[in-house]
Amino acid sequence: MQTDATGFVERAPRPFGPLRGAAADAARSLIAAARLAWAIEGNWTEPFYLAAYLIVRPLAFLGLFLAVLSIGGNLHPESIGFVVVGQAIFQVVGAALQGPTQALLDDRERYRTIRYIFTTPSSLLPVSVGRALVKAAIAGISAAIVIGVGALLGMPLRAGGVDLPLLAAVLALGLLSIVGLGIALGAICVQLRNDAWGYPQAVAGSVFLLCGALFPLEVLPGALRAVGAALPITWWIEGVRRALLGTTSPGLLGELPTASLVALLFVGTAAIWLIAPRLFVLGIDRARDKGYLDRNTAS
Amino acid sequence: MSRAAAPDDLAVRIRAATEWSAGHRLRHAAQSVAGRAYPRIFGMLREPSWLFFDLVFPILGMAAFVFLLRSRGADEAWISATILASALLTFWTSVIWMMAGQFRWERDSGNLTLYITAPVGLGAITLGMAIGGAVGMAIRAAIVITAGLLLFGAQYSVGEPLLLLVTLLLGVAAMYALGACLAAFFLVSGRQADHLGDLLNEPMQLLGGLFAPIRNLGPIGLVAIGILPLAPAADALRQIAVPQLAASGLLPVPVELAILAAMVVVFGILSRHALGYIERIGRSGGRLLTRAD
Repeated sequence: MQTDATGFVERAPRPFGPLRGAAADAARSLIAAARLAWAIEGNWTEPFYLAAYLIVRPLAFLGLFLAVLSIGGNLHPESIGFVVVGQAIFQVVGAALQGPTQALLDDRERYRTIRYIFTTPSSLLPVSVGRALVKAAIAGISAAIVIGVGALLGMPLRAGGVDLPLLAAVLALGLLSIVGLGIALGAICVQLRNDAWGYPQAVAGSVFLLCGALFPLEVLPGALRAVGAALPITWWIEGVRRALLGTTSPGLLGELPTASLVALLFVGTAAIWLIAPRLFVLGIDRARDKGYLDRNTAS
Repeated sequence: MSRAAAPDDLAVRIRAATEWSAGHRLRHAAQSVAGRAYPRIFGMLREPSWLFFDLVFPILGMAAFVFLLRSRGADEAWISATILASALLTFWTSVIWMMAGQFRWERDSGNLTLYITAPVGLGAITLGMAIGGAVGMAIRAAIVITAGLLLFGAQYSVGEPLLLLVTLLLGVAAMYALGACLAAFFLVSGRQADHLGDLLNEPMQLLGGLFAPIRNLGPIGLVAIGILPLAPAADALRQIAVPQLAASGLLPVPVELAILAAMVVVFGILSRHALGYIERIGRSGGRLLTRAD
């Protein structure tokens, strides 16, 4: 152990597996944040009640849409598959999109710890990503339950089995893209005085309407259809449908070859990750300068 | 150190100041109700963004259901019913978060201590919350209906406006009475309250037959209509405002009105006891006043 001229102890940077330097620090922060997120999101009750909560709510959501779907006539297995996959994936979208903002605002206003996290050598970026990933993972359990129930209801799976490589590729890219959008949204919401909690929900609600989770994009009016078709989440849901069900959506999206769909999702995700971390750092720096990290909006 | 002696007539003076006549108590309660209702009705004038967020979610949800129905080529009457259901949902959402979850939020922001120590019963405060919330939400529900008329061409044919008004009033009263009961329950449930709120959302929309006929739920629908105010209110309103769908109703409208009236009484009595319990243990132990998280 060495001391510098000021008497502070100089520590050799600690590696984290194969990672070194800043990457190792970021990985450690991410894991610590993920453990904290589990304590908040998954450890609020007994395991039995948690399991019931994870099962009841998404199934009720699914039941609600299937009940509405049945109004237009008899339920076809293809219609069930379309709604089940869209609704299941959107569980994860909602959680990952809102996760970073909720984590930042919870730490700022509910637990009032953001100022202490900020003063540590750790960056808020891996902390926010870690919190969002755990929320997404918990939502992923609900999504798996919804898909399992869909299969029991007669949802036709892809002939020849699930396309696992495609599923793995679109899940990884889709999750990355949505967490990227989530941290960009968090950087914006932390600047707001009023209703910062409401914006991520409003964005998620709008995306739900536009991304073809429940109905084909062709049902939307022209301008909204174009916006929906340009969202990476739309490509993600379409990719999962192709991997699980082996079917394509009606309309232009369905005509897109699977390789092009994955390439589009990759480019979209790369573009998001090129911009989102910079926007996050800018947003957090601005919030620190303006004193927004100490703000309590009581909302 | 000498201690100042209490005046001999202190007990008499305290009794005189706190033993109010029935008229005085009633006036005081009415003032408390009005005082608590005021910010709920006029608050949105000071924070118009609240109105935006209170409207954006029901309108987005409404649009999702309408597009889903259109993708299936459903009868346009169901689109009108969906818009009506979205308007009713604004009240239910307010019941979950602005009634059931309110005391928990007040505790975390420090107001509950003031409520418990103030010479005002929690019953009057809760009634003020309910009246203010219902009036505020009525404005939002009217905007949701207007948006539905303009965006999706919803059509209603109300042959008996008075019956519609009575149904709406009874439905809203029953929902808010249930909200008052749940306020006590949420307060004692600590960290689980947020998740309980979530469980009262989509699952209750399904059980309440809000967007699809409750008749399709079979025996579960019959149970729901007996305990969940959303169910008879949604079913009766659909039968009255969209007569083409009257055949989809589970029970005749007068029976559903009787159920709603019974719910107002039962939930009203239950909430009185639940709030009394909270007030008692809040004052004696202070346990409920500490943050759960």
